[in-house]
Amino acid sequence: MILAVSVVTDFFQAVLQGVPPGTVYALVAIGFVLTYKTSGVFNFAFGAQAFASMVLFHKAADEWGWGTVPAAILSVLIFAPLLGFLLEWAVFRHLRTAPPLSTLVVSLGLTVAIPSLVTILLDFSPKSGSSPHGVVPDGRTVRYDPFGVYPFSRDELVATIVAIVAVLGLAALFRFTPVGLMMKAVVESPRMTELNGISADRVSAGAWALSSFFAGLAGVLIAPRFTTFSANEYFNIMVIAIAAAAVGKLVSLPWAFGGGLGLGVVIALVSTFLPRWTDEFAWLKPVQENVLPSIPFVVLFGVIVFVPGLRKAIGSSDPLAGVDPPRQNVASVITSAGWMFLALKAVLLLGAVAVVYTQADRTWTLLVTQAVAMGIIFLSITIITGLAGQISLCQGAFAAIGAFAVYQLGEVRGMSVLVAVVIGGAIAAAVAAALSLTLRQLTGIWVAIATLAFAFFFDAVLVKQSWIGGDSLARSRIPRPVIGTIDFQDDSNFLLLAVIVLAVCALGVYLFSRGTTGRKLRALGGSEIAARSVGISPSRARVAAFALSGFLAAVGGGMLVIGQGSVNYGTSFVPFLALFWLIVVVTFGVRQPSGAIVAAAFFILFESVFLKGEIFGWILRGEDNIPSFFPLAPDWRYILFGLGTIQYARHPEGVLAMSAAKRRARSERRAADKVVVDSAAELGTPA
Amino acid sequence: MSTVLATRGVSKYFSGIMALDRVTLEVNAGERVGLIGPNGAGKTTLFNCILGVLPVEVGEVELNGEDITSLPVHHRARKGIGRTFQQIELFADSTVRDHLVIAYRANRPRWAVVHDLLTLGRPRPEEMEASDDVLELLGLQGLADEPVERLSLGQGRLLEVARTLMTNPDVVLLDEPSSGLDRRETAALAETLVEIQAERGFAVLLVEHDIELVSSFTTRSYLLDFGHLLTSGPTEEVMASPEMRAAYLGTAVVA
Repeated sequence: MILAVSVVTDFFQAVLQGVPPGTVYALVAIGFVLTYKTSGVFNFAFGAQAFASMVLFHKAADEWGWGTVPAAILSVLIFAPLLGFLLEWAVFRHLRTAPPLSTLVVSLGLTVAIPSLVTILLDFSPKSGSSPHGVVPDGRTVRYDPFGVYPFSRDELVATIVAIVAVLGLAALFRFTPVGLMMKAVVESPRMTELNGISADRVSAGAWALSSFFAGLAGVLIAPRFTTFSANEYFNIMVIAIAAAAVGKLVSLPWAFGGGLGLGVVIALVSTFLPRWTDEFAWLKPVQENVLPSIPFVVLFGVIVFVPGLRKAIGSSDPLAGVDPPRQNVASVITSAGWMFLALKAVLLLGAVAVVYTQADRTWTLLVTQAVAMGIIFLSITIITGLAGQISLCQGAFAAIGAFAVYQLGEVRGMSVLVAVVIGGAIAAAVAAALSLTLRQLTGIWVAIATLAFAFFFDAVLVKQSWIGGDSLARSRIPRPVIGTIDFQDDSNFLLLAVIVLAVCALGVYLFSRGTTGRKLRALGGSEIAARSVGISPSRARVAAFALSGFLAAVGGGMLVIGQGSVNYGTSFVPFLALFWLIVVVTFGVRQPSGAIVAAAFFILFESVFLKGEIFGWILRGEDNIPSFFPLAPDWRYILFGLGTIQYARHPEGVLAMSAAKRRARSERRAADKVVVDSAAELGTPA
Repeated sequence: MSTVLATRGVSKYFSGIMALDRVTLEVNAGERVGLIGPNGAGKTTLFNCILGVLPVEVGEVELNGEDITSLPVHHRARKGIGRTFQQIELFADSTVRDHLVIAYRANRPRWAVVHDLLTLGRPRPEEMEASDDVLELLGLQGLADEPVERLSLGQGRLLEVARTLMTNPDVVLLDEPSSGLDRRETAALAETLVEIQAERGFAVLLVEHDIELVSSFTTRSYLLDFGHLLTSGPTEEVMASPEMRAAYLGTAVVA
């Protein structure tokens, strides 16, 4: 009897404990749904917007000495809506009719760009040891215990109450004013709305300002839950919120609220009761550590895979879309740019490798080797996004599988590391194929979210398993391979090996894209319904693409760690970084293998060459001549590439193809001019 | 004459609204059948149900006597249903030849990887031959290497037909082939359709607004309105029927 009473008490305690984080998840989920509902944009940058407001709040409150209330007004009521307005005006307004995947990539770009930009612009550098605080004094320490079961802190109470008030206000706005209807109408068809005399631009700007206000509010309210000022925390909260929002198919505000609250309570319940069961059932012990961090990702994945009708919920089509010119697809032909041009590129690349091989010191050789290995990983993005038109955010996990395979088989079991690379590739291919089979009913945004969930699940649970990442996280010494008499302990030799592997992979990608599966994928990208109606199975082609992509990523990951001599999971393969990979490849051109290779070179060398000002050292002959404002903060690469995605959305073919197209246009124009001049000359009149 | 395609009591609802109400129709081998009815009658919905783009709630779809109601789209296509689209659906950034090659290959899925390695991804001889035949049949020879973006609407429609012919269909569903074309183009299209149908002998189910095209092309028609089959029979009789007038002019439904 006593036992039963204590269980009930603990149950209520857990439920109450889950409410404050639950309301915060709910707040983010609602803001997220709001952006989606009112602008049709799946806004990954929502977490970044929240982070921006939080940073401004702390800057104003702590460093400028404004006090918390004026700081909160500035960051939540003024700055946050302005930021939303700015994003709409500068970016998303121009992408209203762009394919959903393009806007998704842009929002990913902003996700990496905004936090760095805000931090640099505000010169925000919190004192070490300081942690975020809430809007009320002594928020963490003063507690109230209204039910006699669980004492709420002041911060938690404020967050819960403000969140509930904000949600009610939003519900009233949608229920009692025409605002909600107008917003929905603009998402459905901006032109149709304008024909009814409503300015789509103004409604859309208003929607962004409103949802950004929610981002700011959530950002400031969540802050005390964290111990550090990290944009990653906000990204993680975003993923949890997406899980909450997915419960309501991304469009239902009440369901998003319920989903967030429910998720908070479930997490609290599991963390209360699971430890007890493990006392009784010893076999649960290893599960216990992994269940908690993985709940949101498992929920997210489960919702996406198992909730029926999710596919239909998405993608309304504009009845007036027919007046648009046909829009560019994300995926497209991997163009053959003519043999001369290809040969020129190959010669340039080989020349660069030859210079590095003969001239460079060890640091540079290793750096270039890294770039080459990264190029192999990036080719996996060429396949999955450039050819299959799917956005995968778990390429980091696939690459890590390759790295861990090299560690487990090569270092721990003493197998040849090159054989281990191939086995790792096969394992990753199998995992990728299984993942893609699970998701075969889904396309577009849902694949992106599900792969993100998988990436986080891998990160939170699998990496720590001793048979996967395990000990390699602490220490690893990956040996270099030996083939016959060639010892690749020599860095230059290993560089050559990496270049050969890259060349083989690039050739494979090229053949794959021109082969049967590549043709099928291109047809599916052009018109899925037409492709299916001539007998093409979408899931088979996509599973093949995923498998090849997983293989390439793992081979690249394996080569990377062999080159570095150790597995640095945290600095090489975490989900947030993998997201940045996608952005870089997309900026340079996701359709041709060359785009991936150039992107890899930039990704690895950008910091050393440009941000540290090394390039000026070369031009001006001497390290001493590097201008004094170098080195720039490494954050600049996030900003530049993040903003680079905006240009991608307008020119999906990428920087390289765009410049090639410009070149072609110029030469055609010249040829045309020449014809005019010639014919004018023939006629004997002055041109 | 054997039945190629049949729907048996097919019903379809969109969130409670009845789009198709127990529609039963048959298309015999080599026959040219029309499906007419005003906007919103459910013609394209029926096409989508036959092809499997939309699931059928009640009833069955049969192809060559086999129940295909639960098969996915690409299986139905491989079993012999071809289709064109009202708003043309071509594969962007591809040439005319690419369209035909992939349609041919999707129906013969054996040893694809081996072939790819042997040919380095180029079309195989039998694919070149088959696509040349179809292009000639449709009068598109010379356009094989054109990117589809350069085709006119009429050529695009012909390419859709060509693409579906590459799958060797038993029955082709034509969804408003005249839409967007002027009278002259429509007449030319009708002529071509008659020719290729005679040559290849597939059955056709034609959805069309252009009365002239329906009258000249089909021998038998079904009249559909608000999801109900109102009448069927030889095309001239259906055209002249009181139901036809009622459906198009909107007077009270004639019993």
